[in-house]
Amino acid sequence: MPLLTLAVTIPIAAAVLAAALPARLERAPQRIALAASFLALACLLATWARFDPDRGMQLVEEATWIPSLDVAWRLGVDGMALALSAMSAVLFVASAIYGVGPRPLTRAAAALILLLEGATLAFFLAQDFFLFYVAFDVSLVAMYFLIALWGGEQRRYAALKFFLYTLIGSLPVLLGIIALFLASEPQTFDMIRLAEEEPFAGTGVGASLVFLAFLVGFAIKTPIVPFHTWLPAAHVEAPTTGSVLLAGVLLKLGTYGLVRVNLQMLPDAFAKYALPVALLGLLSVLYGALLALAQSDLKRLVAYTSVNHMGYVVIGVAAAAATGISSKARELAVDGAVLQMVAHGLVTGALFFVAGFIQTRARTRDLGRLGGLFGPMPVYGTATALAFFASLGLPGLAQFPAELQIFLGTFEVYPAIAALAAVGIVITAGLFLLALQRAFLGETPERWRGLPDLGTRELLALVPLLVLVVALGVYPRLVLDVISSGTWLLGGG
Amino acid sequence: MTVADMKEMEERMIADLPWLSPIGALALGAIVCVVLAIVLPRGRQGLVGAWAAGAHLAAAGLAAATWLDRGFRVTMEGIFVVDGLALVLTGLVGISGALCIALARPSLAGTDREGEFYAVLTAASLAAAVLGAAADAALLAIALGLSSIASFVMTGYLRGAPRSNEASLKYYVYGTVAGATMVYGLSWWFGLAGSTDLRVVGEALRDAPDAAVIASTVLVVAGLAYQASLVPFHFWAPDAYDGAPLPVAAYLSVLSKLAALVALARVLALALPDGTAGWPTAIALIAAATMTLGNLAALPQRNVVRLLAYSSIAQSGYLLMGVAALEGSDQGLPALVYYAIAYAATNLAAFAVVLAVARERRSVDLDAFRGLGRSHPWWTAVLVLSFLSLLGLPPLAGFVGKLEVFRAAIDADQAWLAVVAVVNTVISLYYYLRVIAPAVLDPLPPGPAPRALRGASLPIAIALLGAATVAIGVGAEPLLDLADSSTMLMRGG
Repeated sequence: MPLLTLAVTIPIAAAVLAAALPARLERAPQRIALAASFLALACLLATWARFDPDRGMQLVEEATWIPSLDVAWRLGVDGMALALSAMSAVLFVASAIYGVGPRPLTRAAAALILLLEGATLAFFLAQDFFLFYVAFDVSLVAMYFLIALWGGEQRRYAALKFFLYTLIGSLPVLLGIIALFLASEPQTFDMIRLAEEEPFAGTGVGASLVFLAFLVGFAIKTPIVPFHTWLPAAHVEAPTTGSVLLAGVLLKLGTYGLVRVNLQMLPDAFAKYALPVALLGLLSVLYGALLALAQSDLKRLVAYTSVNHMGYVVIGVAAAAATGISSKARELAVDGAVLQMVAHGLVTGALFFVAGFIQTRARTRDLGRLGGLFGPMPVYGTATALAFFASLGLPGLAQFPAELQIFLGTFEVYPAIAALAAVGIVITAGLFLLALQRAFLGETPERWRGLPDLGTRELLALVPLLVLVVALGVYPRLVLDVISSGTWLLGGG
Repeated sequence: MTVADMKEMEERMIADLPWLSPIGALALGAIVCVVLAIVLPRGRQGLVGAWAAGAHLAAAGLAAATWLDRGFRVTMEGIFVVDGLALVLTGLVGISGALCIALARPSLAGTDREGEFYAVLTAASLAAAVLGAAADAALLAIALGLSSIASFVMTGYLRGAPRSNEASLKYYVYGTVAGATMVYGLSWWFGLAGSTDLRVVGEALRDAPDAAVIASTVLVVAGLAYQASLVPFHFWAPDAYDGAPLPVAAYLSVLSKLAALVALARVLALALPDGTAGWPTAIALIAAATMTLGNLAALPQRNVVRLLAYSSIAQSGYLLMGVAALEGSDQGLPALVYYAIAYAATNLAAFAVVLAVARERRSVDLDAFRGLGRSHPWWTAVLVLSFLSLLGLPPLAGFVGKLEVFRAAIDADQAWLAVVAVVNTVISLYYYLRVIAPAVLDPLPPGPAPRALRGASLPIAIALLGAATVAIGVGAEPLLDLADSSTMLMRGG
């Protein structure tokens, strides 16, 4: 069975179905979204079972599309593609359970979330640049509408900023793709072949320009400081599910591209620019952490910690690209970076759920106004504390092994950067503990005494993420064994 | 020539007639239009339009039948060449001409010379089809003349509007000068070769003095470059498009332009074989100048019709890349053919939406597009798709078109031209986004809702063209195959 094709096409077909439903079937969109996202997850879990961690790119599904340009429907998985697509599928299931905001899904919302799922899974699974780019843009359009239709008061401004930034960011990616196509011999959009043949090997002007084009595009998406300014606005205004998917899934498009294209297809050029890229990653780590420290809006705080956490990924990838790194350290860094993407997806997904839950109850996310929430909401408080601890990198939770691996790998080539990046962890630890203290501990003010604790739907969305966060923290090999970057990083299948 | 020879020639020409059936359909269509316009009462003039559209579609159908049943042939003693290039152009003229009639019908219904307009439009299409097939200097001059006269009349159709009159007059004066220049150049060729047959001219120009060849070629190219709005003969286009009825602007920007470019390709290939006088480089320079000036001039435009006019000048530059690559690469001609098909669908789609907006909101200023997404989601979808296709994003028609011309340029050792085109693509993002962004992102301006448009022809045309813009890109393979087999017949046969 073409499981990967099904994982991509089922959500898209379901999106069309949901949009075409008659309006009087009120519960149907939610059920369709649930069924389709579960099926997509099941397809990926079945792929996981069939996956052989000792081989690189595998289980490739190919169908001809435009042979004259060597465009084809090519899907395949290696450790990174499988881990990220499975993580995304989990987040989409959680989103389908929770709905957009506190309400069950409407037709349009179900269609957009499913379209977004199809697009992001296609992006992670695509082994053809044509499909890769289309998925990149469709995910942008779907997310734009999620923000613009269900966002907060400033949603138009936020959606506009998100749209313009990422569309402008996608153009250099397209130009890079065209350059890779034109330089390959015979010309192809096949990403597997391009990774093997590296048409822009070396560090000439062409290779540098193509590298920079991809870097700018993916840096905007990730986002890497100084291209991050769209992120807080988009997060603050997006509905809860929009934030969960934006931070949990869409940010990974940037770092995934950085590994898949910049590191795999342009390794020589990346080696030349590895230090500046690592420094940008360090800047993201420190600047993101400091900005997060200054926030009192819980969503803004989480948004800036995303900048910080994605910065570790960038540092790890850049270190892996540096010349002189041993293959052991390189694998450590890349494995850590991919694990960090997975862990951050789960943790940040949980964090944005948590922020959304309090928003719908207290109508505020201002840490200064909240307080003593443990009293009326013990379950919510525990879940939040767990998510906070995971995000600050507590051992035993998902981000700890990821960040540890990144530091260990990076230390071999950039010890100073690794040491300075560790400062970021200290800052985020401080800010999360501070937030926990301000919002949850102490005397419960009168106005928050009557807040209800989490409902079933909220628990069903949140608990699986937290379970996975703990599981990954206790037993990271669950995912690390699949990622095994040593088998695919240098191309080949 | 003896009587027997005459007789034999006559028989040969009669045997050739079936190959000219598409052109015959247009000629017959135009003549019957004139009769119908006189005979039918004013309220029934729509029937003339239906007849004209039918004649266009018949021409397209006959072109397809000729291709499939009869194959290619040099007919009429070498005057008319019925080859892949000519037949594709005839098919395009037929289909887009019928669509232009559908676009024009709502604006024309009830005006005083409605029937005559269709007759003139059909005559212009006849001229376009002949331009694409002419391999003889005299026929070329006649076809260009007919095309110009028909275009002047259509441009000035709004007799009461001073701008329409000004546009028509400008177009007429400059057009006549350009046409005369070409005829003067052709007379040099006749003088050098002693024949109007472009193949004979080609033989003669090989041995002619360089100065004479270059001077006469410049004169000939000027006439066609004017019609195709190539720099430096482009300045009429924005005024004419803006002053003319919008469907006429759409017609001029697609059919007249493509016919002139096809004629240019044929004239250069036949009369200047093997790149005589270095014309490929000269054409490449014109292409670079045309796309650059068109794009730069489009940047500040607030009038969307003028913006599209400059955009279509820029598109002429991309199309011309195919012509410039004719000698150096066998991918030049397929690139030109595919780009022409993609451009016809895309540009007509863009004009169709602008026309609909202009009719409903009585303005083509950028502000008239604000909030279009709220009031007309389908128009907006087609607007966005067509503009992104003009920009060249996958999977739309324009992307594959750009890829084809880039490939051709690189294959013809004109990589610098591909680089210029890439830079231009980046520039063009700005002005395409300037229209898309307010349409998608802005709320509806306050005020009473404009009255809804009546009639089905415009919505149907918009839907068809939008679908074509996507389908030509996603399903590019059959059209790429068609383009690959659209050969040009060089010698007698």
